[in-house]
Amino acid sequence: MNNTLPRSSSLSILVVDDEPIVVQSLGDWFRQDGHRVDTAQNSTEALRLVAEKDYDLAFLDIKMPGVDGLELQARLAAVKPDMTVIIMTAYASVETAVKALKAGAYDYIAKPFDPEELSVLVRRASEHRSLRSENLRLKERLEAASAPSPIIGVSSAMRRVQDLIAAVAGTDATALIRGESGTGKELAARAIHVGSPRRYGPFVIVNCGALAEGLLESELFGHEKGAFTGAIYRHRGKFELSDGGTLFLDEIGTISPKVQVELLRVIEDKSVTRVGGRNPVPVDFRLIAATNEDLEAKIQRGEFRDDLYWRLNVFAIDMPPLRVRPEDIAPMAESFLERFTRSMNRKPMRFSEEGLAALQAYSWPGNVRELQNAIERAVVAGTPPIIEAKDFPMRVTSAPIALSSGQSLAEAERAHIISVLEAQDWNISSAARMLEIDRGTLYHKIEKFGLDKARAVG
Amino acid sequence: MSETTRSLAPPGIEAVWFHAEAGLARAAAENIVARASRRLAVPCHLHPRPWENAPVRLDGREQVDADRLLADLEVSAGPGSVHIGLTTLDLGLALFTFVFGRATRNGRAAVVSFARLGPEQYGLAADPNLTARRAVAEIMHELGHVAGLGHCSDVGCIMQFAASVERIDLRGLEFCPSCAAALPRHLLTAAHVTPPA
Repeated sequence: MNNTLPRSSSLSILVVDDEPIVVQSLGDWFRQDGHRVDTAQNSTEALRLVAEKDYDLAFLDIKMPGVDGLELQARLAAVKPDMTVIIMTAYASVETAVKALKAGAYDYIAKPFDPEELSVLVRRASEHRSLRSENLRLKERLEAASAPSPIIGVSSAMRRVQDLIAAVAGTDATALIRGESGTGKELAARAIHVGSPRRYGPFVIVNCGALAEGLLESELFGHEKGAFTGAIYRHRGKFELSDGGTLFLDEIGTISPKVQVELLRVIEDKSVTRVGGRNPVPVDFRLIAATNEDLEAKIQRGEFRDDLYWRLNVFAIDMPPLRVRPEDIAPMAESFLERFTRSMNRKPMRFSEEGLAALQAYSWPGNVRELQNAIERAVVAGTPPIIEAKDFPMRVTSAPIALSSGQSLAEAERAHIISVLEAQDWNISSAARMLEIDRGTLYHKIEKFGLDKARAVG
Repeated sequence: MSETTRSLAPPGIEAVWFHAEAGLARAAAENIVARASRRLAVPCHLHPRPWENAPVRLDGREQVDADRLLADLEVSAGPGSVHIGLTTLDLGLALFTFVFGRATRNGRAAVVSFARLGPEQYGLAADPNLTARRAVAEIMHELGHVAGLGHCSDVGCIMQFAASVERIDLRGLEFCPSCAAALPRHLLTAAHVTPPA
């Protein structure tokens, strides 16, 4: 047996024609090529065969008494959508060809057959089939590989979130995800995208809070060459990039009134006009926005447009903070532990009882992100196979802030500020937000209490 | 060679008869039979003669019905011989526009047409040598069918299906090892394929 040369695989073929000579002759022809062939002389017989067996290819005569080839093709498409159908016609006419192809036939061939044409047709149909099945396999693998980390949670609050995500994913509705920093808003947005029919399209993330107003505009809507100094090339915005997919706008509460107006227009028109451009470009996107701010309060203060708010808040999902669902801490910690030991190539590890108790006792102001960081750190610091309480950051294991009689207000304030800063990884803006003071005040207090990152983390 | 030829005694088939029709030049026919006999381990005879029945054209077409010619050859082939018709007529089938040749699988007859083999048919300079080579290739291919072989997907095997002369030239003149293994020994000579032990 010579295995070095490619051998095309044998196909299972159904030939349907009312003329005995055609089924006989074509059947012999295909058998000669090593294919498995069944023949039928009318549509009823063909449907019976198809009900019993799967065929790769079917050759259907367009003109048969009773149910003709085109009608048979429609019926076959309903029961066996994967079967590749080739229509045979006695006279090649544009009309019949168009009819057959419109009805979903892979191709058509005129009788008498040109041997070369027939063999090319079968080869192409066979390649087409294998490409299609390969494509399906790859999509499945891609789906498995790109699936976001599952949203873990056994609490009723998280189960409700999971239900909401499942409910909204199948629709094309705009979703607004609200929740404190670190509660997994982006993860929820990804889960919606992956569960939606747009899952093979792009998932584009824009952190609105990270960009200055002018930059955000060109980032979102794109710009034409020469629109402003430095616009050397035409730039496609994130809206255009998310065509066919999902656009996730994080920290939506931070956008300026000007961008709010433009955003509203894009959502309503489903088209964007690049900065410096004239013609709107139609885009097909699904929008998911997220915020850790109280948008309704911002509307009261006149900082956020209520018409935009209602456009965004078609379907709201509230991500509960970790402190209200302590029962989720253990399963999440286990899942992070498994993920990090695997990604860091460490030996399997588990938590000691004290370790787990410490995790459950802590209030997690930085929510899931803080928990994730704490576990990641413990996987580095811990010695397999046990992770002890001491392997977690100090703030997790130190006693919760309690205003004991011997502690001054200043001491309590200092301890609380340290705890929040650490939970937010010393991100001044988020810590200030959490403490509900402005950044200037926080800087002032850091200076006053003589805090610095290196020493505090220690 | 002679030793191997002896060992390839044809079981039941003692000779291959080539029936060249009058339209085919005697010299060309002799050339073909000589070439074929070098590849077959049985005596090959050239026997020019008219068709048993006048060839019949297919309904409204220029081509002659290959299956009718084949049926006549099959009848005339007695036990112990394979009959191969050589014709200049363009062969076709009711369902196929044309065929280079046709054979009865596991039978005793085959027919091969020269009508489409010559380069002059494609606007190129005539090359009797190339035409003869293609004719032998078609003869060996049809003999493969007579011996029970189907088409082979090995691109270098003579049993690969060919619907153009380019394909005939590309696939060469040899049976691939798996087709050779399935072939009765009398249709091979050791010069070309080593039969399995």
